[in-house]
Amino acid sequence: MASCSAVHGGCPSDYVAVSIAIFSMILLLVRSSFPFLIHNVPSAKGSAFWIPAIQVIASFNFLLGIVMAGNFVKYKKNHWWLSCYVWAVWVEGPLGFGLLMSCRIAQAFHLYYAFVKRRLPPIRSHFFLPLIVLPWIAGSAIVQVKKPLNYRCHLGTFWIIVAICLHTSYIVVLVIFTGAIRHIEFRFDELKDLWQGILVSASLIGLWASAYILNEVHDDIPWLQVTSRFLLLTTASILVLVFFSISISQPLLTQIGFIKREPLEFKTMRQALGIPDSGLLLRRDQAVVIDPNEPLDKLLTDKKFRQSFMAFADSCLAGESVHFFEEVHELGKIPIDDSVRRIYMARHIINKYIIAGAAMEVNISHRSRQAILNTTDITHPDLFSDALNELIQLMKTNLAKDYWSSLYFINLKDETRARSNGHEMEQMSGGYSYSPRLSCVQAMDDPFHHDHDHDHFSCDSSQDVHDPYP
Amino acid sequence: MGLLCSKSRHYTEADTEENAQAAEIERRIEQETKAEKHIQKLLLLGAGESGKSTIFKQIKLLFQTGFDEAELKSYVSVIDANIYQTIKILYDGSKEFAQNADSSKYVLSSENKVIGEKLSEIGSKLDYPRLNRELAEEIGNLWKDSAIQETYARGNELQVPDCTNYFMENLQRLSDANYVPTKEDVLYARVRTTGVVEIQFSPVRENKKSGEVYRLFDVGGQRNERRKWIHLFEGVTAVIFCAAINEYDQTLFKDEQKNRMMETKELFDWVLKQPCFEKTSFMLFLNKFDIFESKVLTVPLNVCEWFKDYQPVSTGKQEIEHAYEYIKKKFEELYFQSTAPDRVDRVFKVYRTTALNQKVVKKTFKLVDETLRRRNLFEAGLL
Repeated sequence: MASCSAVHGGCPSDYVAVSIAIFSMILLLVRSSFPFLIHNVPSAKGSAFWIPAIQVIASFNFLLGIVMAGNFVKYKKNHWWLSCYVWAVWVEGPLGFGLLMSCRIAQAFHLYYAFVKRRLPPIRSHFFLPLIVLPWIAGSAIVQVKKPLNYRCHLGTFWIIVAICLHTSYIVVLVIFTGAIRHIEFRFDELKDLWQGILVSASLIGLWASAYILNEVHDDIPWLQVTSRFLLLTTASILVLVFFSISISQPLLTQIGFIKREPLEFKTMRQALGIPDSGLLLRRDQAVVIDPNEPLDKLLTDKKFRQSFMAFADSCLAGESVHFFEEVHELGKIPIDDSVRRIYMARHIINKYIIAGAAMEVNISHRSRQAILNTTDITHPDLFSDALNELIQLMKTNLAKDYWSSLYFINLKDETRARSNGHEMEQMSGGYSYSPRLSCVQAMDDPFHHDHDHDHFSCDSSQDVHDPYP
Repeated sequence: MGLLCSKSRHYTEADTEENAQAAEIERRIEQETKAEKHIQKLLLLGAGESGKSTIFKQIKLLFQTGFDEAELKSYVSVIDANIYQTIKILYDGSKEFAQNADSSKYVLSSENKVIGEKLSEIGSKLDYPRLNRELAEEIGNLWKDSAIQETYARGNELQVPDCTNYFMENLQRLSDANYVPTKEDVLYARVRTTGVVEIQFSPVRENKKSGEVYRLFDVGGQRNERRKWIHLFEGVTAVIFCAAINEYDQTLFKDEQKNRMMETKELFDWVLKQPCFEKTSFMLFLNKFDIFESKVLTVPLNVCEWFKDYQPVSTGKQEIEHAYEYIKKKFEELYFQSTAPDRVDRVFKVYRTTALNQKVVKKTFKLVDETLRRRNLFEAGLL
């Protein structure tokens, strides 16, 4: 108690606040990495990964800045990097709160462009984010030059008004963007997360302003100082936790609960959007005769054939074309006037298959890719037609011939024959992975490895490759 | 397990039979490992359109049963597709150039414009009609139009495939109702490879003793296909890296700002630095020499950034040789730059190839085979 001081920190409430902050940071880290670690979801690339990552870093900076500059713990400020300016101005401002709000604004901007303007955002996030943080950096530079902070790391009245204006202006911008998209019926929690974020950050600013006013008015009351900074840090910790959301960049992952072993409710975007399963037009007991002379794109509309062909293509490391076909086919089933779902599916397809460096990037020409990425209407029914044509040509010339002589096709024929004979469908384990294209492949980290329906393809990891005997 | 145990035990009568069995098993395992060791894994790597699949087809023709009639016939649709796609690219290209240029040299005659629109329409569909006399004549007329020829002269800015001239010259033959592609037609046919294909073959040598077994893998060369290469990198005996040396003035199919030669350079560098390839031999095939020959005298090498310090010394055949040696030196420099000191004893050879020429490929492969055999003997300590 002797060391507890309103000016230098060290009170029990201070320690409690700091531990709450640490706890909330840990919780934040767990929450952000949970879907990737526990459920083995492959980590996203591009802005879908970076923006949440930057949010986590910014949250950490924000809390750290408050702790260091808010006189919570005693430490000697003898190095330049321990000075007030570094923490209260730079770390808390542009690298903390500013970055946090900018991430959210960038995400709201993406949503606005996708759902209201129906196109992909014209400015990539690498440029947009630094652009929005610029006012903060300018403000911090001005403060650094003018040096208005007193020994207790508090700003004068004039400066505090400027600071609060800057903070609130960002919240206002976020409100504007959120307001522009409030009429959209999002399928996932995007809008709810945005309003939540706005609410919490507004309340934080409100608390900060009132704490500051009280401090300035009653400068000499120590318990006021102590309580106000305690409240500030705790609200900031809660803010940081509530503010974080992955629904905007990774909508599917919001389905994942915190309970372990709970399977992903919706594994694919198709299920999440409620698109009916395809290929069920024909009754189960009707034999579908697969005629190799029919054009490939007609054959692929049949689900059984498509799955068999997909398994074959995956075994030759050429599966992304068939997966792309399937997802575009599913997109085609969404009615034209349901633009929200179309936008979700189209964005999902673009992120997964079209963007350079995507997980399952397809082999299309530069022109087709640019045409898709620069489209002015993401809900257009023919958005992916050119790319699809190219890929069907690719499949025809590369895979079709080998497929007819592969074991996958033989299995499929046996299955349909068995079904048409009224027998119960034998579980063709299809353990043989023989195909005339590729005997075996070292597939430790196979991006085309899917657990559903078809053969579980394993390969021994010995040096040489064996020819499995049919 | 039993083998290990038996070695340390004392030999008794009851054990002799077991020992005999164990010895037999050991012998068999040794045989199998020896047989497996003899399967040499070869990878064909390289950027898109560098000639990997053509080399692959050549190897199939040389060392396997070649193409039977059914397989040859299956290429008819591919060749048709190539023709339609090419003429569409040229036609669309001429329109684009006509928009940007001041002169009217890219403007087609009115009847050819009609043909062009029709062919462009066909070329953008999914199923191409079989080439018949009428279409062949129309395509031929369009091809002969000066605007299209001018566009073709600037073909390096578009994605015009190298087989264009060959197919356009042979339209009459290709449009025949009973057309069966020749081996040469199949080699010229352009199919963009996706995924991985392999063949296993055993080169028959002079003494007819079947020696090593090779397993050759062909891959796609575009950027998205390269992600898949990593699955094949384990246990590779030799990498055959194909680099098309005529591409120094062309841009990529996937990124129309990037120069193809620069892309090949970066790719070669990346492949050389792979940890799996510590002991792997590298055979660099400087491919498409025939096109290079005709191009290097008109388009200087310095349009490519990598070759910017090239100085032409003479003309004609000497100049071609000089240019080729310069490129070869550049690749060798790159090889030694990218090779760590502990890997410097792996085999590196450069070959000049024209993948369409069967004799050249046969000779080149013989040299490759000899090099690998010598390497094997060296590794086994017998050399």
